Amino acid sequence: MKLLDVRQLHLQFQEVNDQVLSNISFSIDQGERLLLLGPSGCGKSTLTYGINGIYPRELDGTMTGDIQFRGNSVASYAPGEMSQHVGVVFQDPESQFCMITVEDEIAFGLENIHTPVERISSRIDHVLQLVGLEGARQRSIQTLSGGQKQKLALACVLAMEPELLILDEPTANLDPIATRDFIQTIQALQEEKGFALLVIEHQLDGWVSFIERGVMMNRSGELVYDGPIRDWMNRHKSALQCQGISMPAVTQLAMEKEWLDQCSHFPLTVSDVITGWRGSKEQITFPPEPRGSHSTSTILQLSSISWMKRKSRIISDVSLKIRKGEFIAMVGENGSGKTSLSRVMAGLQKPTKGNISFLGKPLSSWKEIDVRKHIGYVFQNPEHQLITDTVYEEIAFSLRVQGIEEYKVDQQVREVLDICQLNGMEERHPYTLSQGQKRRLSVASMIVDHQELLILDEPTFGQDAQSTEQLMTLLAQRQEKGATIVMVTHDMELVDKYADRVLVINKGEVVADGHPHKLWCDDGLARWQLNYPVRIQLQQQVEREGLYVSS
Amino acid sequence: MFLHKLNPSIKALTVIVAVIGLALIFDPITPLLFSIWTIVFTFLFGKVNIKYYLLFLLPFMIISLGMLWTTIAFSDAPEHPAQTIHLLLWEIPEEDIVAALSLVFRMFAFATLSLLFIFTTDMVHFILSLMQQCKLPPKLAYGVLAGYRFLPLMKDEFNQIQEAHQVRGVKRTKKVRESIKQYRRFMIPLLAGAIRKAERTAVAMESKGFTGEKDRNFYRRFTVKSIDWIFLIVTLTALIAIAYVSNVLGYFSWYNGQF
Amino acid sequence: MGLHNWKLKEIVVMSVLSVVFAVVYLAFLPVGKLLAGLFGPIGYDLIFGIWFIVSIVAAYIIRKKGAAFLSETIAATVEMLLGNAMGPILILTGIIQGLGAEAAFAVTRYKSYNLAVLMLAGVGAAVFSFVWGYFRSGYAVFGTGYILSMLVVRMISGALISGVLGKAISDALAKTGVLTGFALGKEQRRKKAA
Repeated sequence: MKLLDVRQLHLQFQEVNDQVLSNISFSIDQGERLLLLGPSGCGKSTLTYGINGIYPRELDGTMTGDIQFRGNSVASYAPGEMSQHVGVVFQDPESQFCMITVEDEIAFGLENIHTPVERISSRIDHVLQLVGLEGARQRSIQTLSGGQKQKLALACVLAMEPELLILDEPTANLDPIATRDFIQTIQALQEEKGFALLVIEHQLDGWVSFIERGVMMNRSGELVYDGPIRDWMNRHKSALQCQGISMPAVTQLAMEKEWLDQCSHFPLTVSDVITGWRGSKEQITFPPEPRGSHSTSTILQLSSISWMKRKSRIISDVSLKIRKGEFIAMVGENGSGKTSLSRVMAGLQKPTKGNISFLGKPLSSWKEIDVRKHIGYVFQNPEHQLITDTVYEEIAFSLRVQGIEEYKVDQQVREVLDICQLNGMEERHPYTLSQGQKRRLSVASMIVDHQELLILDEPTFGQDAQSTEQLMTLLAQRQEKGATIVMVTHDMELVDKYADRVLVINKGEVVADGHPHKLWCDDGLARWQLNYPVRIQLQQQVEREGLYVSS
Repeated sequence: MFLHKLNPSIKALTVIVAVIGLALIFDPITPLLFSIWTIVFTFLFGKVNIKYYLLFLLPFMIISLGMLWTTIAFSDAPEHPAQTIHLLLWEIPEEDIVAALSLVFRMFAFATLSLLFIFTTDMVHFILSLMQQCKLPPKLAYGVLAGYRFLPLMKDEFNQIQEAHQVRGVKRTKKVRESIKQYRRFMIPLLAGAIRKAERTAVAMESKGFTGEKDRNFYRRFTVKSIDWIFLIVTLTALIAIAYVSNVLGYFSWYNGQF
Repeated sequence: MGLHNWKLKEIVVMSVLSVVFAVVYLAFLPVGKLLAGLFGPIGYDLIFGIWFIVSIVAAYIIRKKGAAFLSETIAATVEMLLGNAMGPILILTGIIQGLGAEAAFAVTRYKSYNLAVLMLAGVGAAVFSFVWGYFRSGYAVFGTGYILSMLVVRMISGALISGVLGKAISDALAKTGVLTGFALGKEQRRKKAA
């Protein structure tokens, strides 16, 4: 008997013509690991609600077909009963909890399934230890980091001892270090406990090393493949990116470099490439494409900047010059102060000490409105920045504030719409756009004045492959037109590919400043909690192990 | 500390009964003495940060002064206009002064009672106790807790939106129309984000097996002990005793809405 | 109070609305104080409608029996915990104001949520709150003419600020698409489809 059996599932919301899920059938065995892949917004999460019994009860719409758990239809389980069999960790760390403290949150689930009170306390200790949150029992959930919150969500679910664990894009809001940590925790637990695992994702990195079977969905909510992930990717590699599925960075690199013929099997991890390599060593350790800054005139200068927040030092004694036309990446672990520094640069945060000069004049002597005409700042959450009711008005806003003539406004707005690929959306409400479109709109509103300095806080965070690509192309174009770009990011592939200067921030100080290619030569990036891009990882592996040419 | 360990529901009940009792009385002395009693009690039996306590009381003091002034200025014609009190350069009917002080001290007593509750009670414990002692439906109780959790998140969001607006060149304005528009620009993103998160939270709660069913085992159990009733009785006795003292001093008067 | 036909998401959303507006309520206290300082106690009545607005917003969005009453009660409770010095009595105030707004929806048997009904709900809350204020705060000390004008001003404020503005906020929210799972969002989608 299958643990979970989804049969010809169709699902449709009220007053929406298209089906969200269309004829979905697949099954999971006890203890099996399965990766469900699909682009953002393809109805993957909807499927979760069907499996844990929230739908059709809470559904405004229709659902046909059947979902069986251990041979019984999910609909035949009493409300709440499925939660003892199926546990879910959702994407957003901020909205999975209803209590204030860690302990109460775990107890909440246990109370729901009528766990005897005297057993709750020991269960709490047990699951906290499983996920590595010992000692956090009394803490307030709000004080946990994003990664810790996701681990707590996992602990809550594990406490109920489910036979099937569903993870719905659990790392989408985590930085690379926390992501790696979370996936490792899952892998260890799955091997120890033997529960069945269903991971719902739009990106493959991290999971493919221990999940072999994949189920793929397309944008119209249909199931298009069920089988070994590697085979399917090998067959559809070029189509994946436009389907909104991010391949592992190493796979992308191998495809770009046309290495697939030299690999004995389709590469999903760095070691896949190394172990199956048939070509010569020199090919793997290819040199970087030269890229360099071209200008010497300074646009922004920070002199001994420090910033204190509630008596703790967030930025300490930073001095640097940003030259016109540079593409700068700011990297560093969470809480290192990189976002704060970016805000100081943009004049959003006054430093406690030190001076900033912009175009040769102290930033503090600039009028606010003039600063905004020259410096654009894109926030991590694009929605905060959107203030009008339509896409068109959104872009026109800052022009209107200045009282520019209407025909000129229109001309400029059209131009920017075009650059940001937002044509045809002029009348849409900004909030109803997709994540990628929202992000491009927030950038659009920041370049409409031809701002020459553009500062972005993790602009590719939570974006799918296609939107990231579009956004980065857009930024590269701006740079070509002479704009200076400063981007806070965690994504070392982007740093390697686009930046011509990288600032490593650690504990509020700039600990490294130079061309990315120079940074990769430093073999101690781990001390700043940073990864190397895959290109360098390959190189390092080769150097460490030597490469035996097999053919 | 004693006050922190009391059952939150009974503590709330005590405060409400005392407030109702005070509302029936309309003289300046009873509420004044009772406020003093409450403050002393709060600091004797509760662990309260005096700085925060005063900070909470401050806005109230300002209201009181405003109240004092307006009551005197806008009150009915006095029945005994001959009895007056000289205050600086004004000559004010004594009745008006007494009425104004009664009103102000009554509010002061309410405030001290309220602070006794707020400073010694954990919100989560209060709601859990309401569920266990007052049959508050779990669906509502946990729904409220989930919403309450959003409070600190909202503060961060608010700051971020403020900065984002600064970047967009939204200017501070004094025009009414513009400021209404600006309130809207704050409210809509704040509310939209909160609603979306709330919906997700509800789903997460349900997927943890929450059905709103009334029959639950509580990990944090709240019971009513004799000490809780003693607190209630002591508080009410104090109120009656103070009213008696006020009567002896010749000030006591019931509130009839008449004055 | 039957909660059985409420979905959990409706309860959580109502509670979140209450929390947000509790902050708004608190933020408008100094404004009220300022107006009261300028115009006397009637200054408060000018903007009194602010303090009923969550009833109208919640009822208009969720459209379930009890939405107006519960949301105002929760908002008042949260406002108290945030530090309104009125204390537990504020909860009672919230209950009474909520009942006032709820009464208007009950009269229409929870079938109609047009602007007139929403304004009526604002007026209902104003009347209830005024009667309560009369006894609690001792408005009796003021002259009759003054009391009457306070009442009228408060009713108008209830109709305009909580009724009209409350509807405007909710409609603007519906436009963002976050209300598709709630009665208001569904109604707007039906209208669009038609």
